Amino acid sequence: MAMAMMRSSHLRNTTLLRSGCRSSAPPKRGFASTSQQHEDAQEAAKWQKITFLGITTCFLLACNVLSKGHHHHEEPPAYQYLHIRSKEFPWGPDGLFELKRHDD
Amino acid sequence: MIESQRHSYHLVDPSPWPISGSLGALATTVGGVMYMHSFQGGATLLSLGLIFILYTMFVWWRDVLRESTLEGHHTKVVQLGLRYGFILFIVSEVMFFFAFFWASFHSSLAPTVEIGGIWPPKGIGVLDPREIPFLNTPILLSSGAAVTWALHAILAGKEKSAVYALVATVSLALVFTGFQGMEYYQAPFTISDSIYGSTFFLATGFHGFHVIIGTLFLIICGIRQYLGHLTKEHHVGFEAAAWYWHFVDVVWLFLFVSIYWWGGYMK
Repeated sequence: MAMAMMRSSHLRNTTLLRSGCRSSAPPKRGFASTSQQHEDAQEAAKWQKITFLGITTCFLLACNVLSKGHHHHEEPPAYQYLHIRSKEFPWGPDGLFELKRHDD
Repeated sequence: MIESQRHSYHLVDPSPWPISGSLGALATTVGGVMYMHSFQGGATLLSLGLIFILYTMFVWWRDVLRESTLEGHHTKVVQLGLRYGFILFIVSEVMFFFAFFWASFHSSLAPTVEIGGIWPPKGIGVLDPREIPFLNTPILLSSGAAVTWALHAILAGKEKSAVYALVATVSLALVFTGFQGMEYYQAPFTISDSIYGSTFFLATGFHGFHVIIGTLFLIICGIRQYLGHLTKEHHVGFEAAAWYWHFVDVVWLFLFVSIYWWGGYMK
């Protein structure tokens, strides 16, 4: 992934450099730069469509998943490897994101 | 100053931020250890250290933005150096997550007798990978598509469109974090429930932390795009955010396949 990223940015740099170095005349905006911009505009439009398609898919999927509701798990037996407490937390006996179990 | 410079490199001015960041890191580490061992003053030192680090991050990056936008130090060659630097940072992040996957596979491929010789261990009510985790996958992928839309909009000079694209990216990121939070809240097991809980929450928790960092990074890019800081030729900060976002996306795919799906598979 990193290599591809480097290559793409490097390519862009070298083409920019090359187009700048080809002539000693002051750089002017030719067809090359406008066509590149046009290409980017097309790509932007394409990825905008893909994004909207993705958002629609996510919305439908979310409706489907959330309509199911969540199932309740049964309390497991007190196996030794569950609910491990070797010492008290700095803030007290309970874990931060769990049900209080110490008083029962 | 610029007139006398006969090269395109950026020789930075002396800055107090490296030493202030180091002191912040020292206070955070010592404070963290003290807090976790219930020493007096641990929480205070930890908070001070974190505030120090956050302050350093703010002022250091503020300096970098000034060097880039106002002082014009980010020439082509400086941009290349920044890109290399960020890629190396992402490589180090890959290794960071590699370790968590290693821990997870180490524990799951040959489950020990202490957890009953099976994975997931008996008594662990795993999360259904076909529900929220499956939904979160296209959410993150769409957000990756939106950041690509933003890149091409910047390159095409469509400033407003780029802001909208970044708003879409960040919104999807926030929805992802919201669903992860909901899932954490409802999970029937915790980090202290066997090696399953430990490896699960370590890997997914650090991923979630990275999603939050990436979201903040993208929000800053959106604000900078709105302010007109980013141009066709000068958008290294945005590029770095986009690479980081793709990295977080790829880590999620691996988490989903190996930890949620394969690792949570019950016969």
